[in-house]
Amino acid sequence: MVSTLEKIRILGENGKYDICASTSSSRSESAPNLFGNTPNWIGSTISAGVCHSYAPDGRCVSLFKVLFTNKCIYDCKYCFNNVCKKRVSFTPEEYARTFMKLYSMNVLEGLFISSGICGDADETTKQMLEAVKLIRFKYNFRGYIHFKCLPGTSYYLLKEAVQLADRISVNLEAPTKEILEEIAEQKNYNTDIITRQRWLKEIRNKYNAKAKKIIYEKHDNQNSAEIEPQQNFSENYLSFECGTDRASQKINSEKGEWADEWGITRRRTGYKKIRWDGAPILNSGQTTQMVLGAGSETDYDILKRLDWEYREIDLRRGYFSAFTPIKGTPLERKKATPLEREHRLYQTDWLLRLYHVPIKEIKEILTMDENLPKGDPKLHLARNYFGDNGKIDPNKASYEELLRVPGIGLTSARRIIQLRQDNYIIKSRSQLHSIGVILKRADPFLRINGHIQTTIDAFKAIQVIQ
Amino acid sequence: MIEKSKKTKNSRLFGFSKEEMLINLPRHSQCSPNLLFKVQNTSESILKNNGSQFARKINQMLHEIFRELERNRQFTRTNLNNRGVLYGKITLSHQNENELLKFFHDRFPNCFICLYNTFKNETITMNEQGRFQKFQVSLDEIVKKISLNRPITPYFEDISMNNEEIFQEFYSSQFIASRENRKYFKKMIPKYAMEMPGMKGGVENRFRNNLLDKYIKTTK
Ligand code: SF4
Repeated sequence: MVSTLEKIRILGENGKYDICASTSSSRSESAPNLFGNTPNWIGSTISAGVCHSYAPDGRCVSLFKVLFTNKCIYDCKYCFNNVCKKRVSFTPEEYARTFMKLYSMNVLEGLFISSGICGDADETTKQMLEAVKLIRFKYNFRGYIHFKCLPGTSYYLLKEAVQLADRISVNLEAPTKEILEEIAEQKNYNTDIITRQRWLKEIRNKYNAKAKKIIYEKHDNQNSAEIEPQQNFSENYLSFECGTDRASQKINSEKGEWADEWGITRRRTGYKKIRWDGAPILNSGQTTQMVLGAGSETDYDILKRLDWEYREIDLRRGYFSAFTPIKGTPLERKKATPLEREHRLYQTDWLLRLYHVPIKEIKEILTMDENLPKGDPKLHLARNYFGDNGKIDPNKASYEELLRVPGIGLTSARRIIQLRQDNYIIKSRSQLHSIGVILKRADPFLRINGHIQTTIDAFKAIQVIQ
Repeated sequence: MIEKSKKTKNSRLFGFSKEEMLINLPRHSQCSPNLLFKVQNTSESILKNNGSQFARKINQMLHEIFRELERNRQFTRTNLNNRGVLYGKITLSHQNENELLKFFHDRFPNCFICLYNTFKNETITMNEQGRFQKFQVSLDEIVKKISLNRPITPYFEDISMNNEEIFQEFYSSQFIASRENRKYFKKMIPKYAMEMPGMKGGVENRFRNNLLDKYIKTTK
């Protein structure tokens, strides 16, 4: 019989390649009604998350990232499954108890439950859900849970998972059907993965729309009476205090915003206007992960897929895992993907998702082979956008223009606009520095009070020397 | 209802407001009435602009307070006994005790929380109702005394006991050798852990001839 410690060692090693380490969820206020009404609960979620320890690879260890089982009927070419000698599984009770023990030590912030596919996807998902239910209802855990949806899971099981988790993810692994066939031929890209993602979006929106309706009605009637505690936990999602402000969802048609069939306001690009929508059900939304370099995908394939996912699936964010060859697998001779590629893709993903740079502009900076060029993508985009002589005055530029300048982030751009609204004029570089602008990068694109610091040519020359 | 941290959401975006400064500064161990008086008589725009030395000092002090609190939230290792007493050791030099206890109280509202502050040699506690108390007694003594009056709860018995071994096994399983990043790892070791009594450069004094790098797992 394999001990729990041994299982943690084996399944922890197998589960560590899932990159997601985020633990933030803004559900905390609504939690008490979601998972029953017992006063004996443990744990909470916070919007910024806490990292409790760091592995020597610099990654934070904040989630219990241990597979439920490493028995798997698939044989994806990049996966440990091809060479794994010892096959073990947790029982739901063992898994739940081990997690709770670690949580009581304050070494974890939440749970990330994933698994190989033992028998079939539904069978394994049922076991995983059993463990999550024990955590939620036996140990009354109110903290963060990330549930990994296995490819091919049934609709009714996803419905259950949505009500129990803070975040759900289905791994795309590859940006297109053809590339997935290269590395995991048994998985069907459209039916096993994309359809599941669509279902998850539909379930989440349906539940949250119902819940919002009740809250708005309650608010409009100014009825302060408490909602009766629900007996059936599947109905419990209806009783919460939603964080979404109706006014913040207003459509600004001048900016090309529009509302979809769920009443969600979208930007011109089709992305959700408010990413953290305060929804009580599946508060942290859906994410996905792709393996970089195991197949023949280009950076553009990946970015195009992400752009589609942000529009159609309302993906909260994507994760990338640079391929590392594992000895004994069919891809053992393939070169490991440099971590720099992962880094550049994350940078570009931020530009897409938070800075709202259109994908067609990103396409313009790609190399001939449709990969990202060396260096910071924001710098390349700024050179394209401002041209060689283009400089902006922080006292006059719009928020969108400010965001285009390397060294000015979302926070510093917002601060500049805020100061301008208070009739404060920026006269020197040191003032910008105190706001949080990184001058070394921003200088070539700024004209402050009529003065220029350096030209782009001079800046390029400096870069060459460096 | 326990009140939330005094650091508002806005302070993360726009720096601390003057009001926040006046509320939080008294928690700093080196804060004096004179300093507070000076802050009170300085305009908010000067205080928020890090260009002046005084503003820099004030903001640095505020960051020291919140950094210390955050580090203790992250790195305090707790134990839970079968009578619902959660205990552990902390290192707080500023007056963050209440905030830290509230953090654990929010997570374990049905537990009695005891934390021993190694910096001030005192034990702070918070009961289920959120009542804060301070004792000049050792942690073991307090835990023993409090546990005596509490019944054994099967619910806690299930998840209590020393779980250090489980954590060590789990922690070492999470390391991906191909992603090793010593520089970042060393950066993330809390500074106070490096400077704790009996430590030199992150290594215990008795091993002072060795550098920290020796103990960081390496792929080579
Ligand atoms: S589904 Fe593929 S990637 Fe996942 S465990 Fe099985 S073989 Fe590995």
